[in-house]
Amino acid sequence: MKFPSFLRHVGSKTELIAAAMVLAVLVLAPAMVGGRYFPTICISILFFFILGALFDFMLGFLRIVNFGIAGFLCAGAYASALSVTLLHVSPWVGLLIGGVASMLLGLITGALTLRLRGIYVGLATLFVMETLRFTVSNAREVTRGASGLSVPPFEPLFDLTFARNQPLQLYYLLLVLVVIIYLCLHLTIRSRIGLVFKAIRDDELGTTVLGLSVVSYKLLNFVIASLFIGVIGAFYAHYIGILVPTTQEFGIQRTVEILTIAYVGGRGTLWGSLLGAAVLVGVQEVFRDLDEWRLVIYGTVLIAIITVFPGGLAGGVMQLFERLRQKPLPNGDAAPPSKPGEP
Amino acid sequence: MFTASIMLQLTIDGITRGAMYGLMAAGLALIFGIVRVINMAHGELFMLGAYVMYFVTVAFGLPAPIGILVASATLFFVGVTLERSLIAPLRARLGDRWLVDGYVLTIGIMVILQNLALIAFGPRERGLASLWPGRMEFGDLVIANERLVILAGAIAAMTALGLFLGRTALGRAIRATAENPEAAQVMGIDTDRIYALTFGIGAALAGAVGALLLSIYPAYPTVGGDILLKAFVVVILGGLGRVGGAMLAGPLLGIIESYATAFAPGGWQSTIISALVLAVLVVRPQGLFSRQVTRP
Repeated sequence: MKFPSFLRHVGSKTELIAAAMVLAVLVLAPAMVGGRYFPTICISILFFFILGALFDFMLGFLRIVNFGIAGFLCAGAYASALSVTLLHVSPWVGLLIGGVASMLLGLITGALTLRLRGIYVGLATLFVMETLRFTVSNAREVTRGASGLSVPPFEPLFDLTFARNQPLQLYYLLLVLVVIIYLCLHLTIRSRIGLVFKAIRDDELGTTVLGLSVVSYKLLNFVIASLFIGVIGAFYAHYIGILVPTTQEFGIQRTVEILTIAYVGGRGTLWGSLLGAAVLVGVQEVFRDLDEWRLVIYGTVLIAIITVFPGGLAGGVMQLFERLRQKPLPNGDAAPPSKPGEP
Repeated sequence: MFTASIMLQLTIDGITRGAMYGLMAAGLALIFGIVRVINMAHGELFMLGAYVMYFVTVAFGLPAPIGILVASATLFFVGVTLERSLIAPLRARLGDRWLVDGYVLTIGIMVILQNLALIAFGPRERGLASLWPGRMEFGDLVIANERLVILAGAIAAMTALGLFLGRTALGRAIRATAENPEAAQVMGIDTDRIYALTFGIGAALAGAVGALLLSIYPAYPTVGGDILLKAFVVVILGGLGRVGGAMLAGPLLGIIESYATAFAPGGWQSTIISALVLAVLVVRPQGLFSRQVTRP
């Protein structure tokens, strides 16, 4: 079979085969297991996977620390929920409104802060998130504050229903969104723009010397990520049905969850977050009755990743893959397995 | 409605409250200025200090000053241990690229300490009756004695820290390391030791504040979150890594807070303050009191 040339822009043959296999599992597994419990877990995995990948899109490729990622999620969720409840638009349009709202927030935040050093961006995004969260909890007349805003579910589309008691349908809806978003991120990374991203990550000053505007590229990256985070936030609003501006939902705790998944998965890979999300969501489900110990494990894993295994799970998988590929060589003069680069 | 005496009352309330914010933030600023790590676990060090104070004074019945000393000493060792075991190896491995990883590392420490405290002590709040009950009245002005104790404690601790950094050989070595680690090393300063000591001192300050404030902020596992945000606000207003700036910005935040609460009731003061921080980060990222002209 001839390898179609347009696919070369997407990835190598091995990469495409691997991606197709993963996609097949993602499509088939929830339907085959069935029930309500398993698809719900899978929604959780996809949700954290794509947020981890978006976090990694900023951190792993441009070293932008978006410490307020949960704030952009909040912007998308509330923008969609409020436009559906107050302006009576369809939740499907809400997905778009959520994305645009978060993108505008990203544009303003990025334009104001991205010329500062990394740590200031981290702090500024943190306070964007907190300002937004405090505003939402204070504007009780509009957002119902801490008592929670109830959000209508998705409307039926072409005879397909997306009620809240049908997690399988909602799973496939999320899967479609996730695949589209992931493809956009992946193609951006593989394009010339992605090359510039990596150049900035590895040598910011050198890239400036080449005459490339570092701040514009950072802004582009930040705005793309914000748009997609907003869309996911809007999906979350209609999926979960009630929005509360707590720190677990749209504050530091949510950010820490997303960031842990990106770190555990492996930075600078995008796909690593799928491993991170599957493992961490899985561990949480299996050890449900461990309560506080679960979070102690979470913290320990995070510390271990940073201090001992900076490549994360993706780094481990790549190392394993390298080793398998070298085994068939009989004379043993294969190159030593290359270590995954640290972003 | 807002007469002179009410304004004066609000200002004094703000300063006493702000003095403790300043003290809390001084540790955070010190750690950032020298070790160059944004310590997300600072609130948890505060929480540990509060627990130590509770057990020393309530369980063993020892007087409060001893509790504060024990809390500072314990937290000093906790700080040095954390720096030696986790932060120093990371810095050695990553060089100057480790800032973000250091940030995330302390998040890990935060999550662990918070939940270990929950396992060990449970969610119950453990407080202390007032250190010095009663209040003083000067005409319309009312000041709780409690606040005076805390203000005195804060001023004493800040003076001690200022003298230590400004006048002693070790303090000079710490400032030299902050200024230029390589040059400090050439001058014969063991910078690794300075990093560990600084982290220890920052942690000890957090512990001392936790102990001092036990009668206002009872000890419970997640008490640190609120405190950390306040300390962040102060550190940003005062300029990242500037201990002096933090000490000035603390009372400033206290005053803003007490006025904002009086003028904009019902939770809006937190929106106002975090928007203000955002404005400072965008317009004057070097801090309000910095003479530095270049933007970071």
